[in-house]
Amino acid sequence: MPSSKFPIPQGTLDMLIMQIVSLEPAHGYGIAQRLDQISRSVVQANQGSLYPALHRLELKGWLRGEWKQSETGREARFYSLTASGRRQLVAEKHSWARLASAVQLIFSEGAES
Amino acid sequence: MRQLANWLRRKRLENGLDRELRYHLDRRISDLEGSGVPSREARRQAMLEFGGIGQIQEEVRDIWLTRWLRDFAYDLRFSLRSFLRTPSFTITAVISLMLGIGATTAIYSLVDQVLLHGLPVRQPQRLVLIDWQGDQVAKGFGSWNLMSYPICRDLDERKDLFEGVFCRALTTVNLSTGGDYRPATAEIVSGNYFSVLGVGASIGRVFAIDDDGVPDANPVAVLSYDYWQMELGGAPDVLGRKVLVNRHPLTIIGVAASTFKGIDVGEVPSVWIPASMSGQAIPGFKDLLDRRTRWMQVLGRLNQGVTLERAEIGLQPWFRAMLQEDVRRAGFPVTTPERRWDFLNSSIVLTAAPQGHSALRRRLLEPLWVVFAVTAVLLGLACLNVSGLFLARGSTRDREIGTRLALGASRGRLGRQLLADSLLIALTGGFLGIATAPIAVRALIAFLPAGTAPTALHAGVDFRLLLFAFVVSVAAGLLSGLAPAWQAGRRSLMSSLRERSGTAFGGVRLRKAIVTAQIALTLTLAVGAALFLRTLHALMAKGPGFTTSSLISFGIDPLRSGYPTEEGNRLIRRVDEAIRESPITQTSAIARFPLLTGGSWNNQMTVLADKRVSTDRDVNLNAVTPDFFQTMGIRIIAGRNFDERDVRAPGESGWRSAIVNEAFAKRYLGDRNPLGVLVCQGSGPDAKPNIEIVGVMSNFSYRGLREESEQVYFPFFEGEGAGGTFYVKVRGTPQSSLASLRAIVHGADPSLPMTDFRTVDEQVDRSLNTEHLLATLSGTFSTLALLLSLVGLYGVMSFVVTQRAHEIGIRLALGAMPWSAVWLVLRDASAMILSGMGIGLPLVWALGRFVQSQLYDVKPSDPAVIAITVLVLSSAGLGAALIPAHRASRVNPTDALRAE
Repeated sequence: MPSSKFPIPQGTLDMLIMQIVSLEPAHGYGIAQRLDQISRSVVQANQGSLYPALHRLELKGWLRGEWKQSETGREARFYSLTASGRRQLVAEKHSWARLASAVQLIFSEGAES
Repeated sequence: MRQLANWLRRKRLENGLDRELRYHLDRRISDLEGSGVPSREARRQAMLEFGGIGQIQEEVRDIWLTRWLRDFAYDLRFSLRSFLRTPSFTITAVISLMLGIGATTAIYSLVDQVLLHGLPVRQPQRLVLIDWQGDQVAKGFGSWNLMSYPICRDLDERKDLFEGVFCRALTTVNLSTGGDYRPATAEIVSGNYFSVLGVGASIGRVFAIDDDGVPDANPVAVLSYDYWQMELGGAPDVLGRKVLVNRHPLTIIGVAASTFKGIDVGEVPSVWIPASMSGQAIPGFKDLLDRRTRWMQVLGRLNQGVTLERAEIGLQPWFRAMLQEDVRRAGFPVTTPERRWDFLNSSIVLTAAPQGHSALRRRLLEPLWVVFAVTAVLLGLACLNVSGLFLARGSTRDREIGTRLALGASRGRLGRQLLADSLLIALTGGFLGIATAPIAVRALIAFLPAGTAPTALHAGVDFRLLLFAFVVSVAAGLLSGLAPAWQAGRRSLMSSLRERSGTAFGGVRLRKAIVTAQIALTLTLAVGAALFLRTLHALMAKGPGFTTSSLISFGIDPLRSGYPTEEGNRLIRRVDEAIRESPITQTSAIARFPLLTGGSWNNQMTVLADKRVSTDRDVNLNAVTPDFFQTMGIRIIAGRNFDERDVRAPGESGWRSAIVNEAFAKRYLGDRNPLGVLVCQGSGPDAKPNIEIVGVMSNFSYRGLREESEQVYFPFFEGEGAGGTFYVKVRGTPQSSLASLRAIVHGADPSLPMTDFRTVDEQVDRSLNTEHLLATLSGTFSTLALLLSLVGLYGVMSFVVTQRAHEIGIRLALGAMPWSAVWLVLRDASAMILSGMGIGLPLVWALGRFVQSQLYDVKPSDPAVIAITVLVLSSAGLGAALIPAHRASRVNPTDALRAE
């Protein structure tokens, strides 16, 4: 049996991050926690590798980062989705769905034969 | 772009990232502690989960700035640090480039303004100058590309080719808006001038076709924006007010757009006057509708899609028909069959005129390009110099570069580092160059021909100039970085690490080649400078042919102040008498036209001696009072001066007598005694020679110092016209007499303006403006060039001596004489100097013809000039090499060997 954790491909990580912050603005640690909760046993993200992804998405204009007071009272950098980020997320989800169904189709064909 | 912004705020970004990561870790640790993990273990686990912080920071930085930008930024910072560590190197390199870039930018500013800049009008690229090629069988005044007003109106009918055709002529008027009369430049234009150019009004309106309808019936004027601002304080209520042009009131209907300064870059009009009012703008002018009076430049705007060639071809049939019609027209002058043939075979020529029409551009075209080429060479020399400096520095940086190579730096990366070095130096030099350029431009403007409007050119730095300086700086940076980068690319890693002294020999060959090139370029500049200096010197030594000391001149023109001809003449007589009676005056004279201003009154003449001949070119004419010859120190060689015998009888018109110069007598009368020969103006069969030559005068300059022309002078008070230039020889210093002369003229008529009021010495100087410009600039620049190459030569030779100290030491220890060490160095230097000359001399020979037309009394290949330049250059070069040579002879064998 292969290891229960495998690294997340970069494009997928971007998509997951955008999905998480699309629900509500979150700071880096929060996003890491959410990723961990959602996919505890499935995906493994080196927590630090989250930050290059966040800054790349911010530079592309899909995320906006702001310093705000966090739940513990300390200032943390909160990321939220911008309008163009929202469009990007929709597009990516769409193409993801198409890819997944295509893969599924091929798999089910293989199962029948 | 965003990355560049990030570079500027990288401190803040770094801080933010730091805080962000720290927040993450702290939260993780406290969460783990909360779930019961001991504090130390919690920290360890958090760090482990997080991954390498340093690596993550690097990754994020790469996102902020992108890789190459960061590298480049680091390169620049590294360069800056190493430059600050070697200030003398940095200052020398920056100053070299500052001089080169500053000079080039300053000259380019003039080249751009005078030669290249399009008019600030709608689509200037569609403007063409229309000119007559051939004999127009016409009289005229003004300079360059002249035609008559009716031809312009005819051309304007050709709407198939032109959107419109307009004409214009410049003149000087006495202008007043209520106060004193002052001479001002006016542009006389056809009614469609503004609409064809596409220039609007700042306030009011510009001319419409109707403003140029019936002659004398449209007393209107448009003011220039500058005149409105400076003389009227930009008063908004000028519309409808009167402006007095030669005492004729014209109504101000508008002020032209602020950017528009006429179509001649050297002459900025204060006022525009419709052609229908030309009789008022030019006193006594009645020939507006005469087809045989040429005085205006004609320009047109081509229709969209019509090429210049098509328009030119399209005009010829119409033009030929017009010529045929003109010959049959009543009033066409009686002329010789040859001239008639010339007339009928004329053609019409179009030239692109996106920059308008300018006499200044015509005069400066060649000198400015010559000066620009000289500065470009100077800039090239400066780049070579910096190259040499970099190579010299490179050889001391060998260890550093070798080590970096050994540690795995790529050659490309190292090349980029060297490039960053030279770009940094070049941009700094360029920045300083741009900062000093306005000062240089202001100095240059002072060299422009006299009479150029003071507001015509500006010394400011505009966007085009900045762009130019930036491009030049980057080019200079690349150029000076080329040799060092090439050198670095060739260096082998092994050898550079093996060499203990940390020096490489390959660089020396390259540096010698650079010095050789510098010497070649310096030679061309120096020969050029010597030629221009010779020219200036020859012209000054020759002088104008008359005595200029204590001589003051000024002009008055009573007709422009509203005097009728007779009264104008009486006024001039009154002023003349008052000046003669003044105690400051030695002698005083009047000439109808001023000398040494570049212009003249000229015409062809008919000479009747044994047979009747017409002159084959225009003769320069003038009218003077009898005292002219004594005042100017001009000798009457044969015959007599003007006197009462020349006064014409009542009822008679025209001159009875003339004095010709030696050149005229020699060209048209040969050995024959000129006295008693009859002459007259004009060359047609209807010319009647009835003016007797009564004297011959020595040759002197009329238009300018270079010219040697045939001249014929008439008695002043017997002819037409009523303006005059006074020449007054004063006692004492000219400066102290200026006020007295002004008072005399003021006493005769307080409102009469005096023009060109200055000493004749100054006038001579002004007429040599272009020659001064060329001599001064090329002299200065070649001195700089010489200095740069001497520094280069000295640098290389010192380096060679340092490198070969060991070898020289052994030689000396083995008994060689010190002079042989000197010889060793001088031989090297001579080789460079000689090969530099070998490359430079053919260059000099090839470039000579480009400056030929700017020279006087000297050929570009003048052996004496070249020999002297070569001599000066070689001795200076050897002089620079002597210092290191001397050092070589003083090498102490023991020290040299111990260093091993």
